[in-house]
Amino acid sequence: MSGEPTDQEDWRALSPRTLWLEALRAGPQSVRLLPVLLPIGLAVDWAYVAPALLAALLLAFGYSWLAWRRFRWRVAHNAIIIESGIFEKQHRTIPFDRIHDISVEQSPVARALEIARVGFETGAAADPRTGEVKLNSVSVSDAEELRRTIRLWREHALPQETEVSAVDDKSLFRLSTRDLLLAGFFNFSLIALGLAYLAVQWLDDLLPMDLLDPDTIVSFARQSGLELWLDANRWLFAIGLAAALLLVGFATGIIRTVLRNWDFRLSLGPRALRRVRGLTPRTDIAVPLARIQSAIVVTGPIRSMWGWHALYARSLASESTGAFDHQLVPFARLEAIDKVLEPLDVSRPGNAIEWQVPDLRVQAMPGAIAGLLLGLTGLGLAMLDRWEGPTVLIVSGLSLIYTAILAGCHRWAVAGTTLYIRRGWWERRLTILPFDKVQSADVCQGPLLRSLGCVRLDLGVPGVTAAASSTIDALPPETAVELRRRILGVQPRNR
Amino acid sequence: MRPPEEDIISELASEETNLLPVDPSYESVMRVVLLLVGMPLAVGISAVDYFWVAAAGGPAWLLTLVAWGAVAAIAVLAPSRRYARIGYSLGHDELRVARGYLFRVDTIVPFVRVQHIDLRQGPVERAFGLSGLVLHTSGSHNSTVTLPGLPSATAVAMREMIRKHIQSDFA
Repeated sequence: MSGEPTDQEDWRALSPRTLWLEALRAGPQSVRLLPVLLPIGLAVDWAYVAPALLAALLLAFGYSWLAWRRFRWRVAHNAIIIESGIFEKQHRTIPFDRIHDISVEQSPVARALEIARVGFETGAAADPRTGEVKLNSVSVSDAEELRRTIRLWREHALPQETEVSAVDDKSLFRLSTRDLLLAGFFNFSLIALGLAYLAVQWLDDLLPMDLLDPDTIVSFARQSGLELWLDANRWLFAIGLAAALLLVGFATGIIRTVLRNWDFRLSLGPRALRRVRGLTPRTDIAVPLARIQSAIVVTGPIRSMWGWHALYARSLASESTGAFDHQLVPFARLEAIDKVLEPLDVSRPGNAIEWQVPDLRVQAMPGAIAGLLLGLTGLGLAMLDRWEGPTVLIVSGLSLIYTAILAGCHRWAVAGTTLYIRRGWWERRLTILPFDKVQSADVCQGPLLRSLGCVRLDLGVPGVTAAASSTIDALPPETAVELRRRILGVQPRNR
Repeated sequence: MRPPEEDIISELASEETNLLPVDPSYESVMRVVLLLVGMPLAVGISAVDYFWVAAAGGPAWLLTLVAWGAVAAIAVLAPSRRYARIGYSLGHDELRVARGYLFRVDTIVPFVRVQHIDLRQGPVERAFGLSGLVLHTSGSHNSTVTLPGLPSATAVAMREMIRKHIQSDFA
């Protein structure tokens, strides 16, 4: 309580000109009211439409006004404090030390009104609902002052950054044309066939006959004598069809890969990785090394037979794109991947590492239950002499087998201060997670886990969109708690 | 009260530090919120029952009875159970929050990792003088940790303590 300043005059409101912005925005937004207003006009009376629209706009404006009245902020001696909320009040404290940078944005209208939107980049900006930190509109002078305050704070608090020597980027990885084509080969995809089907369906109305109607095809076959030919050369036809499918699939894969990864280069600059790739569009992005949180090595059952892997880096999204995964290496052998991992300060698990298998029962349980239910349905259908019966039975059997395989693929291991998590059978992902990148750790337990005496360890890692890559299912509680202690015990290296 | 084998997390909790309960009036807060949400629903269902089911000669009052019974049962039982599960401990460099009745979650956040701090207060909480503390860490997955049901003064004190840590760690 001692640190709470009591001076009340310090509070600032957002610029009242914010309300003009809100009012301007209300115009286009009132289009959304059309679905409500139209029925009123049609069913009741058109005379009510204008008053209803006015009432809605007034209500919206009243809400904006109330929100504006309730919003206030101030600069304390080492933090920014924001209070907001009409019904649920929120009091937010953002320490200066956590603000990496300040952005000042101005839309054309805002420029005319001489206000600016100030965004605080804290590294927590990923959840727009709760984590977004913004002052929607303050006067331009306030925005500039705020930026100065924080820049000053950072300068005196941070050690001066060492001079960046002007060295040329060091090449880390290049995808050769041979590997590019090979990668396309593994990218087999029948998506083109689906597109063709859609196209034919769409063209249906324009064509004189219905191409997808079996009757049309049969009658066409009869007329042209194709039927006789097919009957005579059944095997030839089947082989031809299969070959055509394969050709389409491989061609699609190769074309897509070439467009995306043409002349793929990854190089290491002074503080960032730089990646250039693609034909159209050719993209050039920089991934700051300090923002990379974890690395993921991906392979598949067929690719891994020849030792091909891909490498992704997970980083804090710096832009609004929401893409956390950066592909660093699309297709390479492990030696090439190791070379890229080196500047990231992580390494692949050695051969001697002891992989731990989480409780298989727990992992297989949900899939097994679903598979068994499906199996029972299939059995019931088969007993009723329905033709679907055997098919459903086969599907349920396959799903049971797949569940078992998948459960067996989830492993974890610890080496030094790095956690490795392996998952998946068709897409095999190995997540390399340094302890010091873990922000928080949950030990969770639902009814199913409780009945088996297990817990799940769920690690909060920046930039992880798919929760699965930072969780370990089904651990004994003691192991989970001990592991959590070890992980959280490692302090961050560079803040 | 609860069978011992059910309570793996709480037991482990006592190994490290004992978890403190949140303010007892948070139970009432949860109850009031549940009633505020549940009663309009029950009223709506009663209306459906009265205007359509009864009018169509269906089993009159059955739906109404079930709806109000469910609301009453949930409002009586759920808050006390949930309250019993919420616990926290404030270590010298981390906050631990355990919560959840059916699905239990036990979270630890080192203060070093906190990016910014919210205090939250809904209308019902305000009436009871309670606040919730929300810690934001970096990133998107599991990035907020909420500790509800603290007396407002405690919540402010905890926020100030965590804030000091963020500064001292900085050097």
